[in-house]
Amino acid sequence: MLLFNQLQTYLFLALVLFVIGLYGVLARRSLIAILISVELILNAASINFMAFNRFLAPHPAVGQVITLFIMAVAAAEAAIALSIIVAVYRKMRSINVEHATELRG
Amino acid sequence: MVFSDPILLGCLLTVFLPLSAFALIMIFTRDNHKLSLAISLVASTIPLIIAWTFFFKLGGRAPIIYNFDWLVSDIVKVPFGFLLDPTSLVMLVIVASISWLVQVYSIGYMAGDQGFGRYYADLSLFALAMLTLVISSGLLQLYIAWELVGLASYLLIGFWYEKFSASEAGKKAFVVTRFGDIGFFIGLVFLVIFYGNLDIATVNAAAVSKSMPPWLLTASGLLIFCGVMGKSAQFPLHVWLPDAMEGPTPVSALLHSATMVAAGVYLMTRIFPFFAASATTMTVILVISTITLILSSTIALVATDIKQVWAYSTVSQLGFMAMGLAAAALASGTLFAGYYHLTTHAAFKALLFLCSGVFIHHYGTNDFFSMATQGGRKLLIPMACITIAALALAGIFPFAGFFSKELILTTLAHLDNKLWLVLGLFGAFLTAYYSFRVIFVMLFPKAPEAYLKVPGHIPHVEDEAHGHGAHGHDDDAHGHGHDEHHGVPWVMVFPLLVLASFTLILGFCQGYLEKLLLGASHPHAMNYFLLVAAVGCALSGIAMAWLDWGRKDAKCVGFISKFPALQTFFIQKWYMDHFWRWFLNRFIYGIFSKWFTYNDRRVVDGGVDAVAFSTVGSGRLLSFIQTAFLQYNLLFMVLVLAGVGIYLMMGR
Amino acid sequence: MNAVSAWLTPQTAATAAFVMVIGLTIVGALIAVGARNIFHNVLGLCVSLFGVSGIFLFLNSPFVALMEILIYIGAICVAICFAIMLSEPMYLPPPPRNKVKVLGAAIGAGGIFVFLGLLLKKTQWTAAPERSTDWSVTTIGHYFLTNYALIFELVSLLLLVAMIGAIVTARGGRSKP
Repeated sequence: MLLFNQLQTYLFLALVLFVIGLYGVLARRSLIAILISVELILNAASINFMAFNRFLAPHPAVGQVITLFIMAVAAAEAAIALSIIVAVYRKMRSINVEHATELRG
Repeated sequence: MVFSDPILLGCLLTVFLPLSAFALIMIFTRDNHKLSLAISLVASTIPLIIAWTFFFKLGGRAPIIYNFDWLVSDIVKVPFGFLLDPTSLVMLVIVASISWLVQVYSIGYMAGDQGFGRYYADLSLFALAMLTLVISSGLLQLYIAWELVGLASYLLIGFWYEKFSASEAGKKAFVVTRFGDIGFFIGLVFLVIFYGNLDIATVNAAAVSKSMPPWLLTASGLLIFCGVMGKSAQFPLHVWLPDAMEGPTPVSALLHSATMVAAGVYLMTRIFPFFAASATTMTVILVISTITLILSSTIALVATDIKQVWAYSTVSQLGFMAMGLAAAALASGTLFAGYYHLTTHAAFKALLFLCSGVFIHHYGTNDFFSMATQGGRKLLIPMACITIAALALAGIFPFAGFFSKELILTTLAHLDNKLWLVLGLFGAFLTAYYSFRVIFVMLFPKAPEAYLKVPGHIPHVEDEAHGHGAHGHDDDAHGHGHDEHHGVPWVMVFPLLVLASFTLILGFCQGYLEKLLLGASHPHAMNYFLLVAAVGCALSGIAMAWLDWGRKDAKCVGFISKFPALQTFFIQKWYMDHFWRWFLNRFIYGIFSKWFTYNDRRVVDGGVDAVAFSTVGSGRLLSFIQTAFLQYNLLFMVLVLAGVGIYLMMGR
Repeated sequence: MNAVSAWLTPQTAATAAFVMVIGLTIVGALIAVGARNIFHNVLGLCVSLFGVSGIFLFLNSPFVALMEILIYIGAICVAICFAIMLSEPMYLPPPPRNKVKVLGAAIGAGGIFVFLGLLLKKTQWTAAPERSTDWSVTTIGHYFLTNYALIFELVSLLLLVAMIGAIVTARGGRSKP
């Protein structure tokens, strides 16, 4: 059984990518770095969809369609996130999430 | 259904005409005195006609019951409706007649008063409540009417509410009677819970057939008697009735002597079999009513306010009625004696009050010594009527009181313990004495100086601009015009004559009434010893009064002044007001009020405050979680998710 | 030579290529998350995304792989570069690492890793009984305009809203012209 012909390989790869992204979201302080980590998580999800599409799905076009949707949503998300980052930087002169403490209780 | 049945229609009219009169006057015509009067008179005349028609048409027949189930469940049944049997018919006639007569009388008495419309509205409210009370078929309906009567009484006692003492007296009457009504209500609750039916006929039948547990009979009987105690002014809840004389005199005649206060005794007659089934209850009632009789008779000995005298006399006569009923129950007699005394008492006591009202109206004072010195006997018809009524009250043949008192004394004589009979005779003696004290002072006035020694008497001051002690309208200009005998209005004299004739007739209706109430007349053997004893007591009381007050060289001090301590005791009304004041301060204000205040401050307010503070505090606490470090929040979520996820995975 | 040619079969070559692609993906992701310099992060993301597109190639989807490169690297990474230029200056020294935070993040991510790993291990994946072999782009386009037309429209709406929102947010409010 070849390595690249197994579903498990891809799912494990996606898992690793997701966990790395999750670590980034939890640990990084720069908003841009968090955004980058979120992109990694989205890619992990895409890989999962493509893998299921390749190995399990009854029709192999569906997974690709969903992956393309994910890309579109990621693009929208990135646009919004980046504009928010710019606005936040303009307001706080920083993009460190730990500095965004206005709503502290 | 309603229109095809004239009896039901009559009942409904009797109840709803006064109600609509009350509503109409209160809402629309309060400021139009003539229109208000017309409405009220129409709404009391039609029930009067209906009542007399019922009395003659339905008197001899079996009870007619209309029941409309208002609240039915598997164990509880609360009917609303009408019950027309001889007992309620007699009371219906009494209430409707005296109510109508008082309304006519008030045309003269209340003329020119600011609150004329309001007065007639309140009288209509009273008529509604009292008529409903009389013909209601269930105890809950009776209780509702009972409370409404209390409301009407409160409104009418405090009718001149600008006067502080009047509004205070209204409050006192309301609160004290409510005090007894708590017991009444709890008694009803007992009945509902443990018997499940409040229909009067059913309850009576159950008590007769012994299908109720004895403890329930005693407990709820005693509790219901608490209500009677409040309403019929029995010891120790009698204190409100003398104060209630602050109201207009016609009101005193209608509510506080003839009908409303008799409602308590009426309730006892109404469920007489129920009460009679428990000897314990009846013994308690006998004791309390005897105490009431003696207590109020002795206080009446020393009162100087004419209305106070009649008020205490009312209290004592109510006690006498209750004694008659209780003794009848204990000696397995019938309710007739007590109820018959209620009937005759309604006539002569209303007459006494209405006559006194004429004097009060004429002379502007409540003090009968002042009336006498101003020439009260010159008002011939009222003087004659008040004498007739006093003779009836004292129990002199051939006036109504003689027959009914005789009957009650006979009933008392049936008891094994003759102490009650002796006390009853003593009460009769005192009654004759105090009523003729008033009559002789009025009939044979001495010089004003002669009365200066009488404790409590406030000498009449001529230039005191007709001090209207009793009623506050300043527009009748005959305050001290005792030389210009310009007569008493016809509308005031007419009711006096009607009531006086009743006082004369009623005594001879004994056989008829007995047949009506009991189904058959029981001619009992005349106890001549008792007859002599009773009349002897009454006559000796009158003679005593003649010696003390009537004869030319009378000393004008009561025999009671030989015992100064006793006299003070009576003047201070047996210190009952002091007792209640002490009781209120010590227990109500000192304990309950304090606890409730504490409860209110600490538990209720404190509870609300605690909720508020805990909300704020927990908000403060929770806000510590809002550290503004988003990633910690996220980390927490992730950790929980991971923990839950791993836990679930381990299980598989 | 024979041994070498025997060893160098297409399968082996493909496997080697696959391992390389995986390596690109993971190393790129590690750089994207771990590097202290924000610009290195973006470059790492680019590398990782290249790897992902290679994986898509292995998963029989050259079109999606191409779109991955086009959209992610060509659009999103470039947009992130712009954001970096518009925000914090690069010469400022990055703040020191917060040990507690790193540790917590590691534990959280590790927990999720364990959870999903267990899930992965314990699940029996069963393929659909009948599987189509139609992988063409035509079919994807057909799906877009038939079965998924509503989602397609919604995504276009989403993009429009995102565009407007981005402009409004980044413009700096009404007060500034």
